Amino acid sequence: LPALPGPSTPPLPDPRRHQLENGVSLVQIELPEAPVVCLDLWCRAGSACEREAESGLAHFLEHMVFKGSELLDAGEFDLKVEALGGNSNAATGFDDVHYHVLIPPQAAPEALDLLLDLVLQPRLDGGDFAMERQVVLEELAQSEDQPEEVAFQELLRQACGSHAYGLPILGRREALEAHTPEAMAAFHRRHYRADRCCLSVAGPLAGLELETRLNQSPLAALKPSEPLAAVPELQLKPGRDRIELARLEAARLLMAWQLPGAADQDSVMGGDLLTTLLAEGRRSRLVEQLRERLRLVESIDLDLNVLESGCLVLLEAVCDPEQLPAVEQQVRQVLLELIEQAPKPAELDRAKRLVGNGYRFSLEVAGSVAAMVGNSQLWGRRHNLQRPLEWLEGWSSERLSREVIPLLHPDRAFCLQAVPA
Amino acid sequence: MRESAVQQRVLPGGCPLWLIDRPGAGILSAKLWMRGGSSGDPSGQRGAAQLLAGVLSRGCGELSGDALADLVEGCGAGLRCEAAEDGTLISLKCASSDAEALLPLLLLMVRRPWLVDDQIDLERQLNLQTLQRQKEDPFQLAHDRLRVLLYGDGPYGHDALGVEAELKAIGKPELEQLARSYGHSGAVLVLAGELPAEAERWLLSGLGGEAWPCSAPERQAGPTGLLQPKLACSNDDTEQLVLMLGASTTPLGAPHAMALRLLHCHLGVGMSSRLFVALREEHGLAYDVGVHYPARLGDAPFVFHLSTSSDRAAEATRELLSEWQRLLDQAISAADLELALAKFRGQEALGRQTSSQIADRHALVLGHGLPFDFADQSLRDAAELAPEQLLTAARELLTQPSLSLCGPSAALKQAEAVWNAHSLSGAAMG
Repeated sequence: LPALPGPSTPPLPDPRRHQLENGVSLVQIELPEAPVVCLDLWCRAGSACEREAESGLAHFLEHMVFKGSELLDAGEFDLKVEALGGNSNAATGFDDVHYHVLIPPQAAPEALDLLLDLVLQPRLDGGDFAMERQVVLEELAQSEDQPEEVAFQELLRQACGSHAYGLPILGRREALEAHTPEAMAAFHRRHYRADRCCLSVAGPLAGLELETRLNQSPLAALKPSEPLAAVPELQLKPGRDRIELARLEAARLLMAWQLPGAADQDSVMGGDLLTTLLAEGRRSRLVEQLRERLRLVESIDLDLNVLESGCLVLLEAVCDPEQLPAVEQQVRQVLLELIEQAPKPAELDRAKRLVGNGYRFSLEVAGSVAAMVGNSQLWGRRHNLQRPLEWLEGWSSERLSREVIPLLHPDRAFCLQAVPA
Repeated sequence: MRESAVQQRVLPGGCPLWLIDRPGAGILSAKLWMRGGSSGDPSGQRGAAQLLAGVLSRGCGELSGDALADLVEGCGAGLRCEAAEDGTLISLKCASSDAEALLPLLLLMVRRPWLVDDQIDLERQLNLQTLQRQKEDPFQLAHDRLRVLLYGDGPYGHDALGVEAELKAIGKPELEQLARSYGHSGAVLVLAGELPAEAERWLLSGLGGEAWPCSAPERQAGPTGLLQPKLACSNDDTEQLVLMLGASTTPLGAPHAMALRLLHCHLGVGMSSRLFVALREEHGLAYDVGVHYPARLGDAPFVFHLSTSSDRAAEATRELLSEWQRLLDQAISAADLELALAKFRGQEALGRQTSSQIADRHALVLGHGLPFDFADQSLRDAAELAPEQLLTAARELLTQPSLSLCGPSAALKQAEAVWNAHSLSGAAMG
């Protein structure tokens, strides 16, 4: 295959890696033109780390972190960061959690001190805990009022079985109501450890000297973790079901497939190419066939969710309830055709350009660069920013046909039809 | 921004072209903003501007819809056409090295759209389905009703997607007429990123030398809102009650707009914001709480929104109303104003990270007939404001908010009772 012309970019900056004495890793990316620095603290403490009774605790803890620490009162962190012209947020996933701050470069050292104190030494005050539980319960109620989210949750529950990916990150209501600050502190102690955390920083970093600063920080004081049970590999269970949902206005066809886990980044790139080829843009196979030609759906999307214990490809088609059987039959046919006949060169080239440009476009923002390298570092993946583009080039039509396309066989999917009650 | 990095040109026919050079990343973003969005939908044709915008990318010049999609997607580029309230925006984002193939499309889509019946039918059907599906979202339902309370059947009174009965009747002749009006009330094209030297020539290369008669968007009065405190209740079988409390206010660039922007920062930006702290941190009443205050050519809405468990409907309504009342009763402190200003500056910096963001913000400002450096000027103006001026703005523009609720009937009843007893509903005035 010819090399893609692509943007005439200068080589992408290489991450600078550094390890503190206790094993915590720091990864820095210099983006001299960015107007802000992103500080991104990652920890292997997603919902998949929860024990049975800990349902929702990883996410609830992420909320509680912002309620203050040894040095900071509740809300003081936000106030200080925002007064410095920055903002902060956090996100809890199945595998990990991260806390990030966007801040003008000159204020980055102070923000870093605040962030590390906040996340690593949370106060978990009982009164705050009771109040924040209300907020988390409101978050749960809000998501339960979106029937589409209810449908996706049901898809994952049935497809992933007892695996953590089948359980809601927000947690079960009864479990949330039973949680205590002590149980949360134990969860924090267990998972926020030296070998399970890393700090990623991207932006204009000249003169910040973060390494020296970190040596006196709570990050340098973290101890290694005790042995923990590994999260088992996902074993997605093919099958099908049909549910009725109140307040649904259009029917949904939802499907889930399993691909190799995030450790195999080359495969992840193959999965990205495949979902793009199938469902990104009017000329992608599924959109063209189901929306543009047959006009069976309002929309059809196929997303690759990159996860450590097995990636999930999730399909959503929105349609009139009467069309559901036809929609499912057509999805099946498109996939079987792709299995029969390898993608044409132009199709593959189109997908490569879309994926490659999407990747390059995402590097324009300090926040997404920090997240990308931070997540890789957390899980022991040490490729530079150029590497994913090389992996992309390594995928030919026949390699896709051999290694990835068969994994999207319709019989390997869990398929859920959701219709208005 | 470096002076030398910005150049202003005029395309044949009159459309201003701004070139903002940001070399390095090899990315180019183009934004063509044309005045006349959903607020310009002709009478009886609500949804026409969005329908036309959607059809623009379904064939133009020599290219069929398929050929156009092949070209754009084949370059891995993004091309979107969307109508908002005040304008229609065509956005292109691509590798700079693909500019020669893609830049000609912008004016071709405007001047030589295919407008084929079959593609219009498809786009209309998709918009109708989206309108239907949006009703799943209680926030959308509350917002739809609030819009009517604030704007009646005026130009801002409907969703850009339109109104079902009217959208169904819009066909090719209506769209052709609307397409001919593109540029008549002003348009502006902004390119930002790594700019090829021939960018201007490539923009024009599809039209064979024909000029696009067009003017720079001028400053003019936009659509107005209604001023009367009203209540709307949508009965829905949800767990939560959604509350939206808002008023129609004033256009971007109007005398009190900057004061309202700072109030917005104070109330709704960040986790230290007043509504977040008072309603979420101190009362645990909501997960999502904030302020919606978009930039508009006319009387922009200024809206508090939150969703809370049904059994806490009365408390939430009371707290939300008292936060609004507080704006009218007392000036914010000097320290709060300082914080609001820091947030405003921070948002401005964060909104200038990518070429797309930069092109987008300049296109919006220029499309409103405001100067290119409006954002920088705003930063200076904001620093001059005192707490009393924010109070004056609130007392002039926020005295008569309306409330829109969506949720189960028991919660609606509770919230309604609180509203009816509160002076903001006009209760004290009898």
